[in-house]
Amino acid sequence: MSHKSKILAVLSLSLALSSGGLAQETLKIGAPQPMTGPDAPFGDKFQKAYSMAVEEINAKGGVNGRKIEVIIEDHQAKNPLAATVAEKLITQNQVLVLTGGRASGQAVEIASVAQRLKTPYMVDHPSADIITSKGFEWVFRNNPTGSIYPEAFNKFIVDVPGAMPKSAAVVYDNTVFGKTIANSVMTFLKSKNVPIVNDEAYPVNSLDFKPIMTKVKGNNPDFVLLVAVSTTDAILMTRHAKEMGVAPRAFVGFGGGFGVVDFAKQLGPLSENVFSSAAWSGNPNEAATKEFYAKFKAKYGFLPKEHEVEGYAAIYIIADALKRAKLTGNVDADREAVRQSLLQTDMTTVFGKIKFGNWDGPLGDKYTNQNTYSREHSVLAQWKAGELLNVWPKSNAETGYVFPDVALVR
Amino acid sequence: MEIFVQSVVSGVLTGSLYAMIAIGLTIVFGVMRIINLAHGEMVMLGMFGAYWSYTLWGIDPFVSILIWSPLMFLVGMAIHRFLLRDVIPKGELNTLLYTAGLSLFVANLALFFWTGDYRTLNLPYAQWPVRPFGIAVPIALAIAFCMAIAITTALYLLLSRTDIGRAIRATAQNSQSAALMGVNVKRIDTITFGVGTALAAAAGVLLVPSLYLYPTVGEILITKCFVIVVLGGLGSVPGAIAGAILLGLVESLGAVYVSVAYKDTIGFVLFLLVLLFRPSGLFGVGRS
Repeated sequence: MSHKSKILAVLSLSLALSSGGLAQETLKIGAPQPMTGPDAPFGDKFQKAYSMAVEEINAKGGVNGRKIEVIIEDHQAKNPLAATVAEKLITQNQVLVLTGGRASGQAVEIASVAQRLKTPYMVDHPSADIITSKGFEWVFRNNPTGSIYPEAFNKFIVDVPGAMPKSAAVVYDNTVFGKTIANSVMTFLKSKNVPIVNDEAYPVNSLDFKPIMTKVKGNNPDFVLLVAVSTTDAILMTRHAKEMGVAPRAFVGFGGGFGVVDFAKQLGPLSENVFSSAAWSGNPNEAATKEFYAKFKAKYGFLPKEHEVEGYAAIYIIADALKRAKLTGNVDADREAVRQSLLQTDMTTVFGKIKFGNWDGPLGDKYTNQNTYSREHSVLAQWKAGELLNVWPKSNAETGYVFPDVALVR
Repeated sequence: MEIFVQSVVSGVLTGSLYAMIAIGLTIVFGVMRIINLAHGEMVMLGMFGAYWSYTLWGIDPFVSILIWSPLMFLVGMAIHRFLLRDVIPKGELNTLLYTAGLSLFVANLALFFWTGDYRTLNLPYAQWPVRPFGIAVPIALAIAFCMAIAITTALYLLLSRTDIGRAIRATAQNSQSAALMGVNVKRIDTITFGVGTALAAAAGVLLVPSLYLYPTVGEILITKCFVIVVLGGLGSVPGAIAGAILLGLVESLGAVYVSVAYKDTIGFVLFLLVLLFRPSGLFGVGRS
């Protein structure tokens, strides 16, 4: 064969092989998560949730005959690293869509990258309002925002007789998450004329909360509201608060750390009767959700809470969008197709109903592509004997609430 | 008034534990003029040692310190003898980079074996604090404080009354003169590094019931301890103790009376002020 025709032969052969391979190529979903560092336990939860969803979907034949795959990259809970790994997933791994992020600080970075590089980002858990209120058309969110988180708590103190706080101490972390939640809570309390006796922002991942709790104790607040994006902070804060003798009518925790089983495991009896607001993990009184809880517990040995349910639901939402999208093999065109497809989403997952839309949040933020059912996705739960159970609103409650908290200072 | 006393007590208790970590760091610098960036990882190893011996064999950490501290003394000596001793003569920068690499290596090895899950050690008798005169004193921290004092006293006796202690102090003052006086400087270096590591591990064991642990916890601890060591004067043990207690107090009082969000800033401002007026630290020897 001549030199030219050899090259032609090789080229046509490789073209034939690659186009044949394209049909079997997996649909890639990218997920930056903290797999090492202080947030590693959360990354682990999402990994378990994602893999369960992926297994189920692939076992049923995948999406239009193609298997889906979630590629997790470790961002160690560091914001700049989150941006880097998001870029890597988009440019090197050529993922069609992103999800994950875990903490709001990282999610804000990922959203910027996704918007800049025109890749859809379906937010599953990070809650800072700003993520869906910058007008980014490439960013979507299923879970409720930080300002929606306290809705159930707000309903609780309004509806339950005598529950309106006479004063409140608010202690929150200095990240985007902490400030958003604290702001939302304080705005509502101020509108009900509740005096805020402590407004303390602490550096995230602190080693010592005794000074703050000493200060809080001095003001003898009626309610103590604690915000912690990190589990170690949630645990240490609660422990030091009780050690210093802070004895309000209720401790209310906001944030991932207050909703994970490690909270009760590490604190033991110190976790009793602590409220956890926003741990929306699907309505436990719905059949499909109950079935998911049982399946998850059977496979992994513990009951899923907000993170696991959100991660699992996210994959199903993305799979649904991928199914309806016309994929051509051109990555840029496919990402736009997925984006259009997400805009048409209208389904129910174990997390709840989902439909993306543009609307105004409770504090006036203008949301784009935020789940229009989010305001229903807030629940107040309480730790009882090591278990986190929904207590308010009644339609989502699994058990009665304990208020005021009597089992405190000995 | 009660708030003030409570803040002071909390500050001193926390400061005492920082002091234990800082003393180990400062001794190593004083004798060998090396900055051991892997010191935080030695604390972490002590913490994990205490955690595993409690979880697997039920040994109380305040008892298992008698196992882990001597063990880590030997580990420290081995690290110096086989890893560091030949790198040190090659220059301070090389040694610094080497210990930084060692720190990453140990932290990631721990991450590999023990996973990133954070853990806590909950002592059943330390659930609730004691309240003398209405001041809350966490039990685990109080016991740790007393043991820290005991260990520091033992160290003081070692350094001032024993031959080895005198040899260590002589080497710290001037290693060449010490060699001329018959001190085996190489052996003293190895022993000192062992002592520094043993102190770090002891600090870790004492800390673990009051804190939480995961493989990269060394990062957070070491940053604070560097500030303390420089504040107190590199190479000075009384300096490390004074610096630690001072920082603990300042952070505690600063958080309560000034602002929680800026408590670290207050500590650093103090640090800058001290260095401005006493460049070699509070008790610094004045040598470079």
